[in-house]
Amino acid sequence: MSDVSIKESRSNPVRTEAPWYKRKSSLRILGMIITFIIIIPLALIYLAPYIGMLSTALKQPKQIFQYPPKIIPDPVMWSNFPEGWSKYVPFNTYLFNSLKITLNNVIGNLVSCTLAAFAFARLKARGKNILFALVLGTMILPNEVILVPQFLLFTKLGMNNTHWPLMLPAWFGYPFFIFLLRQFFMTLPKELDEAALIDGANWLQILWNIVLPLSKPALATVAIFSFVGNWNNYLGPLIYLRDDKLLTLPLGLTQFQGQFGQVAYHFMMSNAVLMLLPVLLIFFLAQRLFIEGITLTGTK
Amino acid sequence: MFKKPLDKVVSRRTFLKAAAGGSALMVFGITPLASRAFAQDAKELSLGLTWEAAFRPTQDEFDKNFMDKHPDITLNKQYNTWGDHQTIVPTWAAAGTLPDIVYVHGSRGAPWTAEGIITDIDDLANGDAEFNVSDIWEEALRLYKPQGAITAVPYDHGPILLGYNKDIFDAAGHAYPDGTWTMEDFRAAAIALTDTEKGIWGWSGNFPDRNAGGQFLPWGAQFMNEEETQLTLDTPEMLTAIQFWADLIHVDKVAPTTADNQAFPSGPWQGGVVAMSNVASWDTPTLAEFAPFAWDVAPWPAGTQKGTGSFGSGFGICHPENRDTGWAYLREYLNKEGMEFMWGASGRGSPARQSAYDSWLNSPIAPEHASAYLDALKTYAMTDRPFRTLKAPELLDITGREVDLIKNGDKSVADALAAMQKDGQALLDS
Amino acid sequence: MLQRFTGKKLSKREKQEERVFYLFISLWLIGFLAFTGGPMIASLFISFTNWTGVKSISFIGMDNYQTMITDKLFWITLKNTAYYAFASVFFGTVVALIIAILLNQNIPGRNILRTIFFMPSVTQGVAIAIMWLWVLNPQVGLLNYGLSFLGIKGPGWVTSQTWAMPALVVMAIWQNGQAMIILLAALQGVPRMFYEAASLDGAGQWAKFRNVTIPMISPALFFVIVIGVVGSFQIFTTVAVMTRGGPGSSTMVYVYYLYQNAFSYFKMGYASALGWILFIIIAALTWVQFAAGRRWVHYE
Repeated sequence: MSDVSIKESRSNPVRTEAPWYKRKSSLRILGMIITFIIIIPLALIYLAPYIGMLSTALKQPKQIFQYPPKIIPDPVMWSNFPEGWSKYVPFNTYLFNSLKITLNNVIGNLVSCTLAAFAFARLKARGKNILFALVLGTMILPNEVILVPQFLLFTKLGMNNTHWPLMLPAWFGYPFFIFLLRQFFMTLPKELDEAALIDGANWLQILWNIVLPLSKPALATVAIFSFVGNWNNYLGPLIYLRDDKLLTLPLGLTQFQGQFGQVAYHFMMSNAVLMLLPVLLIFFLAQRLFIEGITLTGTK
Repeated sequence: MFKKPLDKVVSRRTFLKAAAGGSALMVFGITPLASRAFAQDAKELSLGLTWEAAFRPTQDEFDKNFMDKHPDITLNKQYNTWGDHQTIVPTWAAAGTLPDIVYVHGSRGAPWTAEGIITDIDDLANGDAEFNVSDIWEEALRLYKPQGAITAVPYDHGPILLGYNKDIFDAAGHAYPDGTWTMEDFRAAAIALTDTEKGIWGWSGNFPDRNAGGQFLPWGAQFMNEEETQLTLDTPEMLTAIQFWADLIHVDKVAPTTADNQAFPSGPWQGGVVAMSNVASWDTPTLAEFAPFAWDVAPWPAGTQKGTGSFGSGFGICHPENRDTGWAYLREYLNKEGMEFMWGASGRGSPARQSAYDSWLNSPIAPEHASAYLDALKTYAMTDRPFRTLKAPELLDITGREVDLIKNGDKSVADALAAMQKDGQALLDS
Repeated sequence: MLQRFTGKKLSKREKQEERVFYLFISLWLIGFLAFTGGPMIASLFISFTNWTGVKSISFIGMDNYQTMITDKLFWITLKNTAYYAFASVFFGTVVALIIAILLNQNIPGRNILRTIFFMPSVTQGVAIAIMWLWVLNPQVGLLNYGLSFLGIKGPGWVTSQTWAMPALVVMAIWQNGQAMIILLAALQGVPRMFYEAASLDGAGQWAKFRNVTIPMISPALFFVIVIGVVGSFQIFTTVAVMTRGGPGSSTMVYVYYLYQNAFSYFKMGYASALGWILFIIIAALTWVQFAAGRRWVHYE
């Protein structure tokens, strides 16, 4: 198989089955009902904590500690959202910084981890197993132990109180994603490489034209995880960033916490809700890639 | 609009001149003098603080006034949450990136002094007559001279007293607590006010890991000796004291269990279902903002004697080479006017200076009988131990775990105290 | 086949392949040498000292490692962590797999459902703790409210010595959206024709699951389990924000204890030693899994 045939199959995907409501099979309908009976209560359990989150975000301070707690606030304080966002703390600045770091790191991770994972999954070389063990090893040592030495290192490099310690490492691979992509790349038939090599393709072309198009679900997974991980990263920015102008959203959230429990829960939660939205939106949109994945691999 | 290019031209010309002059000076080897003069002109001072967002405008206002008065000093602030601050500051110290001035909780006075994070300012504090260090409560300053010399200056210090929910007292037609109350009065009131039908408890069951002095000092028991080398948890007085509180939970059943506590994100006391709780002076702003009920404070009830714990926080200077500039700030931040502006009038915390205390008592958010805090500090409050031993955090974790078991009823008071004494003493001896 | 250790010379193609391998992993290798390797070695060195984490430091040989033998809390945390890790990985993987299979069907609203099940793995830190303390609240919490319908009087969850750890396991299952996504992506990659072929052979649903699904997604399943063990042995944040090790020492877990030593007790040397012992434990468990994986994980 050459990259030409892959491209053809992409532009001319095999049709999937008809949508569920057009199918007549009563057995399928029954299966669906059973699925829904299991999944709807489960979904409600998964959603439950978020109801408390949203409810608090819309309360007045004095209502937060009321007992028994009321789920629906009265009055509904929509003003918590704009007030929490910009009255005390410059969340627009934090948003910009978070987006900048997160987008850089998603792209950096995709590039560096794809290359390394492809090498570990599909290329033969001496020392490969030892190096892969090293990849896993860096994941296994608790981060807390290397936190301070790493902080000293970046400080020595003059990168303290800049975004560099948070953005630079993303371009040099992340063990979790290398391992994840390796697992996916290994499931693709080796014959694809062989055929392409005979056709005169080089390894970069094999990666770009054969492996990547077939790995969209895996790449989407890495992109989403990288986005979530960097979007929520707390410890890194906490240690490296000091200037208010440089802070990120997770650090912003904790600015409402005081020493003696004087936590502005309503603002904290309204901002937590706002912080959650972009991630959910991206996840929702990225699912297209999963579905495209099914069409493509269906041609195998 | 057209001011900018002009500026640029001027600045470039000045720059060229300065550069030429500078290189000439360098040739003659007199640059050090010039650069030293420059360093003295513009001084930068960085502050590592822990205020939550809502309190920062007060800090900004103070700093603006300060910089107006001292145009040669530029202030840079960085905020950590209170909890993160305790972790981050030592990490900064390891990397040599400490700010000039840091917030120092009373429990960190000793370890941060021992680790050289905060520097000796004894001569500055004592040598500054205008600053009048003797105006600061002795019990407050005690936290910041672990090795004799002052290494930080406290800004707030407060005792732990009896807070009460007036709504619950009124509904039951019960008289409010006052200075005449003994522990037996307290217990009788807690029993009388408990109404399980309505979900009302007499006492909060609050049993703090730190600042627990009120739990045993009234019975004449002590946590440890003055030098903090020997625990004294195995005395009959301590057993009587702790048994009193355990019985309130398990025998009289006038306090919510830890399971009940979970219903309230900030505890049942702030939830308004508890008649009485231990309330420190630093808890009062939170209550003023969040408590959905009327409340006040009263003196801590007496046992065989009067007694309760107290604690506080302060600020220290990190870089010995920058201590003069640092002191220029601290002496105004922590003098009478500074404390009144920052913590007194704002109601934020009971000032560590006697002369500034009135401003706090008169602040709009202070409770009606806030003067009980002043009386306690003057007569019967005592700084909670441990604060001198470097093993304090680990020791408090050991005792805290056993207190959990007492509260849950999983272990008898005698057994828990014996375990604390044994494991805690082993730690102190190691 | 590459004749690696037979002394046979590599062919030109094999040599070229090896060069490409090292080129592709070079980004990761540079990053490892620059940012991670140094701090790792430093932490190993620190583990043989009594460094406070700030200034005083002296070499004390194996003392830290010997201290562990008689440190009661070390053994308690090890036991608690193992309990947590095995329970959360086992139940977490089973639940994630069930949800992934259900959501892999062509059912209406699946994009929204997938988003709902993914959501918990996106929310982090203090916000999540506050939300869960409501759910796990013994009196007015949703979980015990739900159990009351089944006629069960729910326990005290995080306030009870017996139930605090199971409560954290429940949270881990709830937060396992990552595993769900990885398994879903893998399920999407199973070619439909394999199921069709199995149907033609007269295979039932279970046989298809057993003989097609599981082998086909085994690399992803393997990844989820390996990563699950690594992650759950390092559990920290949930404990820090939910229970702080209590009540008593019932939820004192390894990395939380390590963290306390490093940043609260000024025992960075001991904390580093704890870190390296955990490294050895997880590395051994991972090695066992890779060895066992050769029997049940099918690539290609």
